[in-house]
Amino acid sequence: MTMSFSAPLVKIQSLHKSYGPHIQVLKGLDIEMKPGERVVVIGPSGGGKSTLLRVMMGLEKIDSGSISFGGKPYISSESADRKTEIDTEVRRSIGMVFQHYTLFPHLSVIQNLILAPCKVRGESRASATKRAQALLERFGLGAKANAYPAQLSGGQKQRVAIARALMLDPKLMLFDEVTSALDPELVAEVEQVILQLAAQSMPMMIVTHDMWFAKNIASRVIFCAGGVVVEDGPPEQVLGAPKEERTRDFIDRVFHIRH
Amino acid sequence: MGYSFDFQSVSFGPLWEGLIVTLELTVAANLIGVVLGFPLALLIMSRFAPVRLPAMLFVEFFRCTPAIVQIVWFFYCVPMLFNVFLGSMTMGILALGLNLMAFNAEAYRAAIQAVPREQLDAGIALGLNPLQRTLYIVLPTAVRASIPVLLTNGIGIFQQTALVAIVAVQDLMYQAKSLATETYRPIETFTIVALVYFAVSFPVSQVVGFLERRRQLMMS
Repeated sequence: MTMSFSAPLVKIQSLHKSYGPHIQVLKGLDIEMKPGERVVVIGPSGGGKSTLLRVMMGLEKIDSGSISFGGKPYISSESADRKTEIDTEVRRSIGMVFQHYTLFPHLSVIQNLILAPCKVRGESRASATKRAQALLERFGLGAKANAYPAQLSGGQKQRVAIARALMLDPKLMLFDEVTSALDPELVAEVEQVILQLAAQSMPMMIVTHDMWFAKNIASRVIFCAGGVVVEDGPPEQVLGAPKEERTRDFIDRVFHIRH
Repeated sequence: MGYSFDFQSVSFGPLWEGLIVTLELTVAANLIGVVLGFPLALLIMSRFAPVRLPAMLFVEFFRCTPAIVQIVWFFYCVPMLFNVFLGSMTMGILALGLNLMAFNAEAYRAAIQAVPREQLDAGIALGLNPLQRTLYIVLPTAVRASIPVLLTNGIGIFQQTALVAIVAVQDLMYQAKSLATETYRPIETFTIVALVYFAVSFPVSQVVGFLERRRQLMMS
């Protein structure tokens, strides 16, 4: 048994999820994440990485298993009616950033940032706007507060999306392939922002295909394939000297492509 | 062609009065269509069959019968069935308004369904509840997206107003028919009337084109 100071922040137990009767994406996933950890999830497409994050955010129903956050179960399946129970209070302490920015196109940057704090938490407009402006300044977007998403570059949109998620003071951030849709020259500015958060010891789980970024940011790397955890360990091990055959194959192929 | 044109004998007074009536019909029908079309769209998307099916039947009735039949039916059958007649103008507005409401509901439905799934996911991730997601994400996006179709339907109904002339609403077409008969100048009269309809519709259709081009830019 681990001692209390390293009690898990997230505990995922025997998570099963399928799309329709034939496509089983998660086949009994077990992951424990400690506070302050930065977990990078890598693996082949269709291996269940994005589904894992979507399930953690409550965007997908699960078939069986459970997830708890800070010791409190917040997602579980009621096997009787196959209904997924989600505790909204806990879910609100988790922020998520998606591959395709998902900024609301009809709202300006600042309106995108203050929508949820004002509507969900009942924060006053003035106070939310003040916090939003400070966040934008920090991310080098101070001048873009009144711009609309269509007027921003991909990298700027993604930085706004990160700022928007941070407005709710999350205790855990989920990043789902946030640089995959970006032009190569815009990737660095987004990764920089995530590294900034890492420096402030924000716990995060990151799904990425960018192995260099994974190396830089991870405190732990999980290789996920076929809906299960194949290998789990520090980045030097999983990325540098993987123990499992399947991990080694994958790492070889990915790094080979990048050279 | 031995016809000698004589635009002098076409008097513009009655045509002007007719145009005013036509515009009144158009504006009133559009108010009904634009405002009530949205709740109707929500009804046809309802998960509950007892709500959805009557709404769908309503929409399909108006989409699958000729407008002229709907107008005639309204003028002759509604008074006989329900023993109410609200004046020809009101009946005209109702017939055209309900017709437009059905078409606009379809426009709204398509736009609501076109709101990307990721937008709603982002809403969930930000903790917005279903009502908040509808109000702050779906509604503004869908209304904006449907504006070109609403305008197209709107000018469509502007042209359909000509049909109410057959039930004695004194619109532009009605005045034109009377004038043509009185002056024996059908070519001149109907040419002018066609130009008037065109002059009103054309700018609107240009606006539609502009909005669609701008929207494509916004989405890219």
